[in-house]
Order: sequence, then structure tokens, then C-alpha cells
Amino acid sequence: MANTFQKQLLPWLLPLVVLIVWQVIAMLEIVSPSLFPAPTTVLESFYGLVVSGTLAEHIQISLYRAFVGLLIGGSIGLILGILNGWSKWSFFTFDTSIQMVRNIPHLALLPLAIVWLGIGETSKIFLVALGVMFPIYINTLHGIRSVDRGYVEMGRMYGLRGWQLFRHVYLPGALPSIFVGLRYALGVMWLTLIVAETIATSDGLGYLAMNARQFMQTDIIIVTIIIYALFGKLADMIAQVGEKNALRWHPNYRK
Amino acid sequence: MTNSTREHGVRINVSQLQKSFGDNEVLKDVNLTIEKGQFIAIVGKSGSGKSTLLRLVAGLEQPTSGALLFDDQTIKKTDASVTMMYQDSRLLPWKTVIDNVGLGLKGDWKDRALSVLQAVGLSEFQKEWPGTLSGGQKQRVALARALIREPDLLILDEPLSALDALTRTEMQDLIEQIWRDNQFTSLLVTHDVREAVKLADRIVLIEDGEITLDLENPLPRPRDVTDERLVALEKQVTSRILEEEPLTSH
Ligand SMILES: Nc1ncnc2c1ncn2[C@@H]1O[C@H](COP(=O)(O)OP(=O)(O)O)[C@@H](O)[C@H]1O
Ligand SMILES: [Mg+2]
Repeated sequence: MANTFQKQLLPWLLPLVVLIVWQVIAMLEIVSPSLFPAPTTVLESFYGLVVSGTLAEHIQISLYRAFVGLLIGGSIGLILGILNGWSKWSFFTFDTSIQMVRNIPHLALLPLAIVWLGIGETSKIFLVALGVMFPIYINTLHGIRSVDRGYVEMGRMYGLRGWQLFRHVYLPGALPSIFVGLRYALGVMWLTLIVAETIATSDGLGYLAMNARQFMQTDIIIVTIIIYALFGKLADMIAQVGEKNALRWHPNYRK
Repeated sequence: MTNSTREHGVRINVSQLQKSFGDNEVLKDVNLTIEKGQFIAIVGKSGSGKSTLLRLVAGLEQPTSGALLFDDQTIKKTDASVTMMYQDSRLLPWKTVIDNVGLGLKGDWKDRALSVLQAVGLSEFQKEWPGTLSGGQKQRVALARALIREPDLLILDEPLSALDALTRTEMQDLIEQIWRDNQFTSLLVTHDVREAVKLADRIVLIEDGEITLDLENPLPRPRDVTDERLVALEKQVTSRILEEEPLTSH
């Protein structure tokens, strides 16, 4: 009984206290309510945004950018990682160039992306794709290279060649590392999106926040921050479920 | 174990085989003829080139010079089935036991896989992940994976040296029984001279990349390790290995 309390309830006590204190401070108007809206006010504007459909619209466009960017950048990173882990020719042809580009903080390319690609979808998707590409590339490369040579030799001995060897030995061997890359890339994906959307857009969650800033609607800014956090958590949870499922064989992921 | 009536086994001819890695001459001049269906054991100190010889016979490495024939054919031309067991079982941890046994096979192999798993006593473990098995069980699965291909040559590179004594004895008996049933050629590398004299028809000692002893072992099977002829043979080989010690120190 005491144990359930300790494990299940105790962790929520502090957040609850913070919320209550915050609510009380706001209600007593100790600080300006426009800078420091009460949790109930935040809830109210959240409700308003949901009912009017505004929120769904902005979330939809943000998710679209996030996932198209992830898909493009992730695929490129995955393919390059596999190629360079597989073939020395490919590695020596591409890796140095990839590492040079990787050293540029991708967000520094934002102004350039806007000049080249405009403020439409392309520039944001480009930045997200660029950002997620590197963690996936590096971890895939590392995963493929760290596959036990003994397994590869055994696979060849038992007649596996080319695609078969890749599918049965290299890919599953690299998978734990690829998932590490994916989960890291999800973090980069949201971060890139937040920055890109606050600077050059007319829709999306970042735009919603920046627009609210102009009108000092602190409550809406807080709503968007919470939604970013929720989506970040959600994406990580989905990746974790996929990871657990794909790595059932791995002692670290066994229940 | 299998219903096939095909005759197994292959005759192997190694002549003037030489292998260097850079300046390191690992095998100097190896000459060896292994008869079809013979069980041959190779002993020798670690680093003497035993695994290298096995890898050459398995076709995993190319000799620097010399010839290697399977039933008078070159390795590239041979259709002999060669399988291998390693000291570490090398089961793919992401495949279940039965999928490890069927690795690389085409067509409908599940029934055959089940029957070889039965032959090594592990059929009820077919759906398990290798990570949940003991060392001895893993080696049994690795043996099943080697056997399902109906080998003409089974290469065994210290497959039992990581096992405890009891499991090792059990596995020795299992390997001997399966070999006697199927009569494939067996090439076993071992540290354990007792294991060599128990299992092999012939014992070959490799020292510094050369064969320095080649003994027939005609004792009848099944063999009892307390049989005095077997003990005498074990002593003979062991003292021969130890006698060379001062000469090989650098
Ligand atoms: N792929 C390789 N590249 C370089 N040297 C090797 C390679 N394989 C084996 N050797 C060398 O060959 C020698 C014999 O090794 P090995 O055949 O594994 O001996 P054993 O199995 O008898 O212990 C060792 O000195 C080892 O370092
Ligand atoms: Mg060895």
C-alpha cells in the first residue's frame, strides 16, 4: 500500500503543488495576469482553440512538416549509413563530405533556406530533413560497422550473399543502433520545426505562438509550448514501442 | 537423422599448403590427405595455425601457395557441402532457434529443421531466442544448423572448449554418434588431447605452421576414456607437445 503510494502518486505531488501555487498567485493577481495567466485561463484558451478548429489546423500543418522532413531526411540518412557501412568505396567517396556538412549547425542555414526556397513548405521540410539526417546516418553507419564479423563469416559460410546477408545479418545487427539514431532524430525534428516555424511562416504551431506574442496572449503561447512537449513525448513513445517490438530478441528489451 | 540415401563424406587432399599474413608465415608446408569419412583431430598450441588451416579448408581464406583438393576437385569446383561449428556458437540472436537452423535454406525446410533439432534433443526449444539458452544448448543448435545441410565435411573449431566438463562429454558422445550414423568427413581442432584421442581416427599435431606428428588411432568404438590404450595414446601426444616447449619459446 505504502509502496503504491510512493511509486504511483508521490511523483505527481510536486507538479500538483506547483499548479496550485501558480493558480493561487494568478488569482490573487500578485503578478500581471497577461504575463502569467492562471492554469484555468490556459485551459480555457486551449478549449477555445480546439472548438474553433484553429488548433487542429495548425497542428496538422506542423505534423505534416515534421513527418515529411523526417521521412526524407531519415531515408537519406539510413541509405547513406547503410551504403557507407557496407562498402569502403562508398565510405571513402561520401563520408568526408557528409562530415563537413554535418559541422554546420543546420539551423544556421535558415536564412539561406528562406532565400533559396522561400517561406513555403520546402524550406521548413528541407531544414527538418537536414537536421534528422545526421543522427540517423551516424548511428546507422556505426550499427552496420559494429555487426560482429563472426556472424558475417558464418552467414557467408551458410550461403548468404548480398541482399540475403544484409537482411538476415547486417540489418538486424544494426537495428538497436538505428533506433538510438531515430529517437535522437525525433528530438532534432521538433527543435528544428519550432525554430523554423517561429521565423518564417503563416501557419503551424510556431506561427500560432509568435502570433500570440504580438498580441501578448501569453495563455496561447503556453498552450503551444505544452502541445510541443506532448507531441515530443508521444513521438518518443511510439518510437519506443517500435523499438521494443523490433528488438524482442535483445536481452535489454525483454520484459 | 535424415532420410537421404546420398552417400556423405569427401576426400581431402592438402599439398604444400602455405599461408602468410604479410610477413607472418602462419602455415609453412602442410601436406595432409584426409580419407572420405575419416574423423581427424588437429591439436597444437594456440597460435600454431590450426584455425588458419581450417579457414583455408572451409574456403574462407585463399592459400598463399599450394593446393587443396576435394575429391580431386578444386574448392571452387566442388559441390561438397561444407559446414562449420565455432567455439562461440554464432547463433544469430535475432532469430529463433528454428530459424537459426534453417538459415540460408530455400524451400520447405521446417520439417527437416525440426527433425535435426530432435536429433540434438532440442525440439521443444524451437521457438526460443538463442539468448535464453545455455552454452551447451547453443552448441547443440549450432550442430543442428551444421547437420541440416547434410555435410560432406564438418569442420569443428574448438566447439566444446567453452563448455563445462559434463556437458562437454555429452556433446562428444552426440557428435560421435551423429558422425557414425552419417559418415561425413570430420575435421576437429581441439586443445583437449583426451577429446582428440576419444573421437578421432587420426591425430595430427601442428607446431609453428608445420605438421610434426601424425598418429593413427585404430581403437574400437565406442571408446572408454579409462581404457589404458587410450590413456597411453593421450600421454604420448601430450608429452610430445610438451617436449617441444623449450624450442618454441622466442
Ligand atoms: N586474418 C589474419 N590476419 C593476420 N594474421 C592472422 C590472421 N588470422 C590468423 N593470423 C595469425 O596467424 C597465427 C595463427 O593463428 P590461428 O590459426 O588462429 O592459430 P590457432 O588457431 O592455432 O590458435 C597467429 O599468429 C595469428 O595472429
Ligand atoms: Mg584457433
